[in-house]
Amino acid sequence: MSVVWTVARQLMAECVRMKVAVVFVLLLALLLLGLPFAVQKHGPLTDAVQSFLSYSLSATGLLLGILTVFLARSLADEMVNRQILVVMAKPVPRWQFILGKWVGMNVLNVVFLAFSALVIYGAVYYLRATHPPVDEELDRTRLAEEVLVARQAVQFRLPDFEAMAEREFQRRLEVGAYDDVMDFDAAKERQRLAKRVEAEWRVVGPYEVRVFQFENVLCDRRPESTLQIRYKTEVYNYAPDEVFRAVWWIGDPEQGTPVYECRTRHIVGRYHTVTVPADAVAPDYTLTVRFQNRNPFAGEPQFRNVIEFLSRDGVEVLFGVGTFEGNLLRLLVLMLCKLMFLSAVALLATTLFSFPVACLVAFTIYVLAGTRGFILESLDFASADQAGWFTSAKEFAVHLIRSVYSTVSVILPDFGYYDGVETLVNGRNVTLRWVLEGVVSVGFLRTGCLLGLAMLLFHRREVSEVSV
Amino acid sequence: MARRVLPVVQTAGLCKTFKDFWRRPRVEAVKNLDLEIRPGEVVGLLGPNGSGKTTTIKMLLGLLYPTRGRISLFGKAPTDVAVKSRIGFLPEESYLYRFLGAQETLDHFGRLFRLPTHVRRDRTERLLDMVGLRHQASRPVGEFSKGMARRIGLAQALINDPEFLILDEPTSGLDPIGSRQIKDLVRELGRKGKTILLSSHILADVEDVCNRVVILYGGLERAQGDISALLSQKDRMQLTTPVLTPETLAEVRRLLHEREQADVLHVSHPRDRLEAFFLRIVEEAQAASVGTSGARGGGVVPEFLKKATQADAQEVVESLIAAARQPLPAQVESRRERATGEPIESGREAARAVIDELLGVQPAPAAPEVDEPRLPVEPAPRPAEAPRAAPRADRKVIEELLGGTPPGEGEGPQKEEQP
Repeated sequence: MSVVWTVARQLMAECVRMKVAVVFVLLLALLLLGLPFAVQKHGPLTDAVQSFLSYSLSATGLLLGILTVFLARSLADEMVNRQILVVMAKPVPRWQFILGKWVGMNVLNVVFLAFSALVIYGAVYYLRATHPPVDEELDRTRLAEEVLVARQAVQFRLPDFEAMAEREFQRRLEVGAYDDVMDFDAAKERQRLAKRVEAEWRVVGPYEVRVFQFENVLCDRRPESTLQIRYKTEVYNYAPDEVFRAVWWIGDPEQGTPVYECRTRHIVGRYHTVTVPADAVAPDYTLTVRFQNRNPFAGEPQFRNVIEFLSRDGVEVLFGVGTFEGNLLRLLVLMLCKLMFLSAVALLATTLFSFPVACLVAFTIYVLAGTRGFILESLDFASADQAGWFTSAKEFAVHLIRSVYSTVSVILPDFGYYDGVETLVNGRNVTLRWVLEGVVSVGFLRTGCLLGLAMLLFHRREVSEVSV
Repeated sequence: MARRVLPVVQTAGLCKTFKDFWRRPRVEAVKNLDLEIRPGEVVGLLGPNGSGKTTTIKMLLGLLYPTRGRISLFGKAPTDVAVKSRIGFLPEESYLYRFLGAQETLDHFGRLFRLPTHVRRDRTERLLDMVGLRHQASRPVGEFSKGMARRIGLAQALINDPEFLILDEPTSGLDPIGSRQIKDLVRELGRKGKTILLSSHILADVEDVCNRVVILYGGLERAQGDISALLSQKDRMQLTTPVLTPETLAEVRRLLHEREQADVLHVSHPRDRLEAFFLRIVEEAQAASVGTSGARGGGVVPEFLKKATQADAQEVVESLIAAARQPLPAQVESRRERATGEPIESGREAARAVIDELLGVQPAPAAPEVDEPRLPVEPAPRPAEAPRAAPRADRKVIEELLGGTPPGEGEGPQKEEQP
């Protein structure tokens, strides 16, 4: 392994001596140190910090991705400038040479990630200390509870819509509602009814109450701890500045927990949060939340429209399970896994092509990995239901692209799935399980496959150019 | 029964064809090359541009794969990593990392050979001394002149104390001092039993240091053999005398004409080679402490490269004693006489002088005859009345005895004088 480390050292020395590292660090520092000033105008402290974290972490990921591909130039340069002739005349197994390059690239990635994390961490606390306060105490509390924390989210248990639909279906059968229907299809009717029952359940009319049941709210149940109910409501045909007023009751008296009443005055179409003590959670770690579409404020008008909770995370409970620092560290591991994969792609491409072509290939794969989920979804939409390969030219093209892309997807990781920036920005837990999944799937398996392929190709190729 | 020594390099029917993108044969660079290099040989690989020299070297190093044929190095495939630890390679250009300093470069390559730290450090310093770049040790190689980079390239090729050294155009880009140092080094290493393959366009370099040449043209081997056998003109003789008066010269001519029915073809004064003259001028400048930012001094071969194993030393002794039992050619004897200014009594005594030189001891004033080769235990004192021969002269004697051609011994082009 001493040879691997020697090759890695050489790559790192090249990066430092050729000023690549210096220029990169300067650019990164300039960006990261300038951003806190740029986001000062982003409203309250929480929003400013969230904007800063989002921009800075995304920019760091992008810049490090570019740098990683650029570092593969070390191998390309050695082949073009022929230092490889001298190195390969030494007792250096070729696989160790490729591995050494990869190790060097990723040691640099670790260093740069650590540097970025330190700057970002410092900048967050700088913002916290210097951001012009709207309500200083409230701002800092919100920041601590909603951003600088690792929270676990639990979504409410959906009612059994199919059972509800079946009851409705049986009732209609009994009353002879389908007697006159020609070509009656019971299965389709059941599906239609299930959709309708769910849609009706998600809508809360004026003065109506909806109950949301949460399970496995494994939080610290002491009253000094807190938990948040995060929700987002939708309303058709509302004015942009429309305000709705409602009441939340959090807690279940039947389980012997206190019930906290929260009166809210919020704008529709956006996420809002209410915070309550954690002793609202029952001893069996269930939580009952009731929502009423009723104005509790005297002298203010009642909202006359229905309120809908459409999205899956329309109502969820959040509670702290870790620190921001731990969350940031786990996010960096996820980012490193992606960079490890990218460095393997860049090295593989460099063993096959000239550096400009290798760059193009590596960046294309980087983008494809980032948009994998979106592309597969789009291809599904592009094809008509149950259409065959030879239905039309368009179907043939779509099927062909989907087949190729599905094959490539075996080795191509879904960078979108492993993008934890938004999770961290929203103060949610970057779970250890997620990180381990990323390490195994992206960092080891897929990276290992590509690195192995790069070693094999490099082993088989003639390192010398034509010389007669 | 004589034990067959395993050749260092052996190729059989070696071919290399370069193909284009569509895998169509484009250039046949090497055709059916059968090459064998035995341990201890210094072989010159000659040929014009495009004759396949560098391609052959790259195939020997596993950098290119043969299209057909077989290669073995030390009995193994050239891609075998263990084999490469026994090889030193200086490519046609130095191909070094521009951002590393001279010392770091040698350290880096030492690490690739997995040399222990203390060995690496020691060899790095000694090699920097050898190539005269100790004072530029921390300067990036990218700032070096071509000649200086060439020196570092040579140093890296020697960092592992290789058994087999491949030098591709070793003197290209070097000043005459550097060229001379490299030639001296190759001779020295050759004497220590290293096997060397030297490819060069500079025929004089090959002639000076190699004992066998292989000439390639168009990818085919056109000639190979011992240099002295290939170059000696059996139908002519050369006689070197003190300056003769016109009368004596006329008498010599007449005598030759009468006795041999032959005429003297050329009469001239021997002259120095330009290389020797140049080196003398530079030595004078160095003695006057004239400054330079380039390579300084150097040329001292490090001890680790000089070290021969006991078996090697024994082999050398045995071969020399065996040679000493044969009568030495008259021409060699006369050269020995000329070099030392003293007549030698027998071939065996000459061999003893050579052995003493190789083993680094001073020769005894009157060497006793030895029946069995034995290593002298203690150096014998040199008598006060016998002036000690200069080391350079002794080395020339060794070179002559080993079949080399001493430089600067009147073998340069001669100025013709009209009789």
